[in-house]
Amino acid sequence: MKKLLLLLCLFAHLSYAQKYYAYVTAESEDEVALIEFDGKEAVVAKTIPVGYKVSEIEGPHGITVAPDGEHWYLSMAHGNPFGTVYKFKTGTDQVVGSTSLGIFPASMQISPVSGLLFCVNFNLHGKMVPSTVSVVEPNAMMELKKVPVGVMPHGSRISSDGTKQYSVGMMSGELFEINTLSLEVSRILPLDEKVDHSKMDHSKMNHMNHSMAEGDGMQMQHSATKPTWVQPHPSNGKIYVAGNGTNEILEIDGTSWEVTSRWACGKAPYNLDITPDGNKLVVSYKGEGATGIWDLNEGKELGKIQNTRSISHGVAMSPDNKYAFISVEGKGGQPGSVDVIDLVSLKLVASAETGKQAGGIAFWKVDP
Amino acid sequence: MKNRSYLIISFALLITITSFGQTEVTLKVEPSPTIVEVRKPAKIKVLAFDEDGNELEETETQFWPVQLRGVDESMIFTKGIEVDSTGAINATQVGEYDVFIFRMPGEGQQFARIQHKIKVVNQPVAEINVLESPTEIFEGSMTQLKVEVVDEGGTKINNPDLSVTSSKDEVIGVDDFLNLYANSLGKSTIEIEAGGLSASINLQVVKNPVEKISLSVPNTVARTGDVLQFSTILLDKGGNAISDVPLVYSVNGKPISPGAGASAMIGQDGRFVAEDPGFYTISVSAGNRSASKAVQIGERSISRTVTVKGQGRVSDQHTSDLWVWEGVDGKDYAVTGTWGSDGKAYFWDVTNPSSIVKIDSVQVDARTVNDVKVSEDGKVCVISREGASNRKNGIIIIDVTDPRNVNILSEYTDRLTGGVHNVYIYKNHVYALSNGEWYEIINIEDPKNPKRVGEFQLGNSANSIHDVWIRDGIAYSSNWADGIAMVDIGNGIKGGSPSNPVEISRAHVNGDANHAAFPYKSKDTGKFYVIAGDEIFPLAAMNSDNLQDVFIPSGYLHFMDMTDPDNPQEVARYEVPEAGSHNFWIEDDILYIGYYNGGLRVVDISGDLMGDLYKQGREIAKFLPYDAKGFIPNNPFVWGAQPHKGHVFFSDFNSGLWSVQVDPVIPDNTEVQMK
Repeated sequence: MKKLLLLLCLFAHLSYAQKYYAYVTAESEDEVALIEFDGKEAVVAKTIPVGYKVSEIEGPHGITVAPDGEHWYLSMAHGNPFGTVYKFKTGTDQVVGSTSLGIFPASMQISPVSGLLFCVNFNLHGKMVPSTVSVVEPNAMMELKKVPVGVMPHGSRISSDGTKQYSVGMMSGELFEINTLSLEVSRILPLDEKVDHSKMDHSKMNHMNHSMAEGDGMQMQHSATKPTWVQPHPSNGKIYVAGNGTNEILEIDGTSWEVTSRWACGKAPYNLDITPDGNKLVVSYKGEGATGIWDLNEGKELGKIQNTRSISHGVAMSPDNKYAFISVEGKGGQPGSVDVIDLVSLKLVASAETGKQAGGIAFWKVDP
Repeated sequence: MKNRSYLIISFALLITITSFGQTEVTLKVEPSPTIVEVRKPAKIKVLAFDEDGNELEETETQFWPVQLRGVDESMIFTKGIEVDSTGAINATQVGEYDVFIFRMPGEGQQFARIQHKIKVVNQPVAEINVLESPTEIFEGSMTQLKVEVVDEGGTKINNPDLSVTSSKDEVIGVDDFLNLYANSLGKSTIEIEAGGLSASINLQVVKNPVEKISLSVPNTVARTGDVLQFSTILLDKGGNAISDVPLVYSVNGKPISPGAGASAMIGQDGRFVAEDPGFYTISVSAGNRSASKAVQIGERSISRTVTVKGQGRVSDQHTSDLWVWEGVDGKDYAVTGTWGSDGKAYFWDVTNPSSIVKIDSVQVDARTVNDVKVSEDGKVCVISREGASNRKNGIIIIDVTDPRNVNILSEYTDRLTGGVHNVYIYKNHVYALSNGEWYEIINIEDPKNPKRVGEFQLGNSANSIHDVWIRDGIAYSSNWADGIAMVDIGNGIKGGSPSNPVEISRAHVNGDANHAAFPYKSKDTGKFYVIAGDEIFPLAAMNSDNLQDVFIPSGYLHFMDMTDPDNPQEVARYEVPEAGSHNFWIEDDILYIGYYNGGLRVVDISGDLMGDLYKQGREIAKFLPYDAKGFIPNNPFVWGAQPHKGHVFFSDFNSGLWSVQVDPVIPDNTEVQMK
């Protein structure tokens, strides 16, 4: 028994001795914070000022770490009119490259197979027209192509085999699959259930007031599902989508290319991530400042954890399946935060305060 | 002329993608370096090898040229070169191009890509064309040849290597810049060579008909910055006026003291202006005849002191724009925004500029209230929102009839969710920038129920708008690289209205950084200018540890003469070294500028304008608002300035609202009173 206790203490010590690092953007502060979590406490280990215009907020939004961990990439949403993706060296956090993308570039990821970076041009506030996914060669930081996708594309995520990139058209209600080698859209899946529009209560849909003026010559797009994120499963071929407008998680069969389940969930699910072992799905509920933990094998929510601020945003997972790091925006002058949730106890175990409007978040590394 | 040789560079950068368990593939491109001629078929071949150096079978290959790209409606198109899937090159423009080459993996192989450079050069020279070739030139004159060189593919060669010779240098001399010097009467053949071909023209130097030149100027004594108009009359032997002999003006300066410098310029329209006091000789030549006239230029001596009258300090957050107005009660008020904070706007009683009193505030769901404006009748204020927590942003309309008890009337966010950076109110309509792409036009006759009536966008989503200012029914938008756009929104010149804005004209502004525009008709000259201000921050500041050094902005004010809106001309500038221009205002031929780290600047823009106004000593006053209790202490960063009833009000990013007085000039004959 004593040996067992000793082993448990040793295990606990080793576990706590590990340090987890994640980068998080502060969109209304023009900062990126490096969060360090030692198993007990989360702190801002470093604040990296980004942007170069003193009197303009440039809006760091999306962030990703390269598969080899050597660089991180940051999309700056605002521009004249196009935004920019910057490349930083991890550790030194110095800018080593940049290139202009489309309007309001947001989430992105690098394919481990092609080595190319795929960044959605969210065009969050522009006219309701189809936008693009920018494909960037990240060594030279040159944009190769803009692949046309849906209206307000978001949630750029790469399949675990690196051959497919997924995004969802937030306002067109579509899932797009791009072949990361041919750089062409390979499949499109409408995500809205077929309903009689005449019976829909549009006043209850959060369309962000993107009304169209008459005479614009463009068809109004307004998805009821309003998908805001897509996350391919690491191993079982399924794809999960956050139905922000209908408060549901959509499960899609990547082979048959159809929606197989719609799970009712918390209010306004926004971002998703899945533990590397494929067992748990973590969902930020933007509409209620909470985070949901789902058992993917059972298709049910294991718990809902209230976040430290009212607008939950991004999700990043530790590679050991233990922790979820949640960015939480805050309002007005309120600082943002990163909440750390223990995925076993389903409790919020730590939180660190960041600059205003914490948004994009990416896990970097675990130090022993 | 010196012959230039092309430096031929081509390199390939291999990018290795690691994927365990699969064959690593290495690519090689032939020919390397790749140099092709424009508009001439060429091809590159991509070879693939495994780790042992064995060549692999061909698979699908993609080629992605990435330079000299344009953007149209957010889609990329590559200019200058295309490479198809077989490696065939279609080069339409000379230059150097990066091409990424992707090889799709074969069975058990890794994906591979390589970066390769292709240099496109001209084909051999096919034609040398002398443009606008004269047959006669006047003795003593200098003229420049215009030559176009075309290659065998019909492509014009930029900056061709040319050599020019004259058969009789004593008659016509030549130089490397294609200038011809008519030295003496006679004939000469001018030969131009390029790429082994040559072309020639025969020229005759003829007697100059000019016998007398009359050079005149209204004033021979002036100040720096005064534009003097010189007039030239050419007369022949019979006393008849001649007009077909080209004139060349030049100026020579003598400083008032050694080392002081004597800088001046004269345009070929005879307009002269000096930056330094001194003695200047203006000469005009017509062939081998010339005339000169001397002028004396004195100091402009318009410098005035600035007295601080009051400050409404904001020390817990950054301050953005300001607006000062006379309220409906006849008292004077100001509103200021806040930046990167908690969405507040402050209202001030500035009736007594020496005692600025904060009288009310509003707080909205935003992080930045970048712009604030008040309607002409002083009843309605509009503030812009950026960083709203629900990302709807838009504008807030406020009743300021009683500025001590302001009251939010409505929120308007439709099509403005991207954040409103700037607004303008004109005749019951709000012109609100949307997402930096277009401006919405919103009727606020009923300010509780604003209604959208129109919009204006420059072209497509590749165009960007930053600000809009309105005078006499014309909206002047500032559009970064797209310069200034004049839009009829009720003037009538193009039949425009708020619901039907019609573009009148557009002016490119050098530097591609047009951030603000202010229309202004010169009282003295009647010329119509639009002053176009830059906003430029150094990219080097990105993520630098040395922020104080690298965050210094730059940029200046461009004076666009738009008297003829179809032919805008940039005629002058005001540029403070090592500082960055921002927002500004003009009243009674005086320009008031918020010049960021350069503080408040007050500039005399009376009379005709030409050249660099800063160097001409046209600055009347400057003031840097150091405040030890500021948000960032002692860090002047003036956002914008507005004259109002004899005082100048300005907002400072780090210290709030200020009022100053530009002190009156003390007459030179003032006698010192001795007790």
